[in-house]
Amino acid sequence: MNLSVELEAREDVPAWLVYGTPVFTVVGALALSAVALVALSVNPIAAYGTMFVETLTNPFGLRQTATRTVPLVLTGLAVYLPLRAGLWNVGAEGQLYMGAVVGTWIGVNVSLPMVALIPLAILGAGVAGGLWAGIPAYLRAKWDVNEIITTLLLTFVAVQIASYLVRGPMQGGLGNIPGSAELLDAAKYPTIPVLEVHAGFLVALLAVAATAILVARTRMGFEVTFVGSNPLAAAQAGMSTFRVYLFVFLVGGAFAGIGGFSEISGVQGRLRPAFSPDYGFTAIPIALLGRNGAVRVLLAAVFFAVLFVGGSRLEVSYGVPAALVDVIQALVILCLITAEFFKRYSVDVELAAESAPADGEPGGAA
Amino acid sequence: MVGFAAGLLDAAVRASTVFIFAALGEIISERGGVLNLGVEGMMLVGALGGFATTVVTGSYWLGFFAGMALGAALALIHAFLCITLKSSQVISGVMLTLLGTGLTTYFGTDWVNESIDGFPQMTLPVVGQYLVEIPVVGEALFRSTAPDFIALALVPAVWWFLFRTNLGLEVISVGEDPETADTMGVDVFKMRYLCVLLGGAFAGAAGAHLSLAFSQLWATGMVAGRGWIAVALVIFAQWRPERALVGAYLFGLLDALRLRSQGIDLALDPGAPLAGVVNPLLDLLMHPTIMATYPYIATIVVLVVTVVRFDDSRLGAPSALLEPYSRETD
Repeated sequence: MNLSVELEAREDVPAWLVYGTPVFTVVGALALSAVALVALSVNPIAAYGTMFVETLTNPFGLRQTATRTVPLVLTGLAVYLPLRAGLWNVGAEGQLYMGAVVGTWIGVNVSLPMVALIPLAILGAGVAGGLWAGIPAYLRAKWDVNEIITTLLLTFVAVQIASYLVRGPMQGGLGNIPGSAELLDAAKYPTIPVLEVHAGFLVALLAVAATAILVARTRMGFEVTFVGSNPLAAAQAGMSTFRVYLFVFLVGGAFAGIGGFSEISGVQGRLRPAFSPDYGFTAIPIALLGRNGAVRVLLAAVFFAVLFVGGSRLEVSYGVPAALVDVIQALVILCLITAEFFKRYSVDVELAAESAPADGEPGGAA
Repeated sequence: MVGFAAGLLDAAVRASTVFIFAALGEIISERGGVLNLGVEGMMLVGALGGFATTVVTGSYWLGFFAGMALGAALALIHAFLCITLKSSQVISGVMLTLLGTGLTTYFGTDWVNESIDGFPQMTLPVVGQYLVEIPVVGEALFRSTAPDFIALALVPAVWWFLFRTNLGLEVISVGEDPETADTMGVDVFKMRYLCVLLGGAFAGAAGAHLSLAFSQLWATGMVAGRGWIAVALVIFAQWRPERALVGAYLFGLLDALRLRSQGIDLALDPGAPLAGVVNPLLDLLMHPTIMATYPYIATIVVLVVTVVRFDDSRLGAPSALLEPYSRETD
């Protein structure tokens, strides 16, 4: 008896796989996470009911979801844009922190009317996030220094810098507790009427629209996609990978930075150390789920926002640690990359009665 | 001053062990061509698993091995995804760190208040009782816990394994040029599985050392970024075990200095020239939070300087790192 597994690269992907992947991914991750719930003797169906149905059927849950979506979609775009150009931005978290630092500084120290102050703070946060992402981008574009490692390491540097600032030069208002002074009222996003969500939500939607147009309708967007699918051919066609690499990181980093300021201005009111529950890392599965378009990045961000909100609800009603959300997140990625494999290869499993011929070992992929 | 130096050295050596374990594992994995960004998660799983096993069985050795096994178990997922399914090593690694963090936070809450008798202090067997008498360095180097000595012994062992054994050369060959290695009869897939699993076991050992010998407790998120420093350390050490030892001591020393920086006063006399500029700058540079960034900055500088001044080949990165291997099917 011999189990032989044949792998064949697919030439085209069947439609059911293309559209089924996100569904399979989410259902698969939830099914696997159910094991963790059962381990703490919690009924997974009831728990997921609390997480999703209760969150999505009451106004408070919906508002919280919209609020959570803002930093998630902005950091998601920060990973998505470089990904279009074939680069990895693993450091959206650091860019988010840098944006939060500069945005907070402006929001605390500059006295201007709201119509001027908020745009100025957004600009400052965007420039800070963009420049922070610009360091690894320049190193990659100029000398081919691996951007995965530099974006990742710079994240930890950024988090520590923010932590230093709120304990030292930027500390204020809380006695000895680390944290910046409260933002001026003019620097806090107003609430959108009817929706009752802070205006950062609109900024995030604008960013999604801008990215979608940029990628699909502009020359630069075309170059980004071209460079991403074939950098050599792009270079031969006269495109500058240097320019494209810098562009995707500067714009992406700017989005992440604005996401950082939005979280401070719209939700937290002041900068604290470790204020982000790893939004910038959640951005990686978000960009992966949404890698085919900015609107899909938005949908993926909403899904993870529901997870975040539902997770804390679960903690309150069942005493289940909210860390379950981290587990689900990880499993979403796990299922996603497994599904990617089945998209790329068709797998034939045969149970052969006789052993394979001597010239090759069965199952090239072990 | 001698007392301070001895204390600092002692703390540095203690802090470096966890880096040695994790970096050696990462070197083996990357030498085989697979980047493992899941070290942080594997260390957390090793720390909690080792701790819980020790609480239940009362044996810290069992705990240590359980930690290694759990690290390897998580690494098995990485190996399956990256080697068999040819997924992106970056995504899979980040996912495993998330998974390790999530699982240990989720299941770890019940263990936070438990206490254990962890690895006791001992002198190095046979010669240690004489060597501890050496001034300043004696206590630091020769009175420690068993895992500290194991980590030290593993440095030459891994070096010898990689560069002096056939198996080690096969590891390097699949990391440099898997096609050629395959032609020469090396089973690329099996070899890469071996490397990733060994790397995971080492990361698990690093975590178990942290909870069983270094802190002797379990706290949520106790690895606190050390796994990422280990990833950086491998680049800093340019994929060589002996340099990883030097790097681990350097990063351990930074860690020890950081915790003691309030007690160090390098400030110039206020009347001295430039004191107005130098003193605030020193204050900034010696601030514990700022000092925590040095390992990352040092690694980026090493990476950039090597790539810019020489070229990629001098950096010493395995050529096939990050590339999944597909065998040509007939």
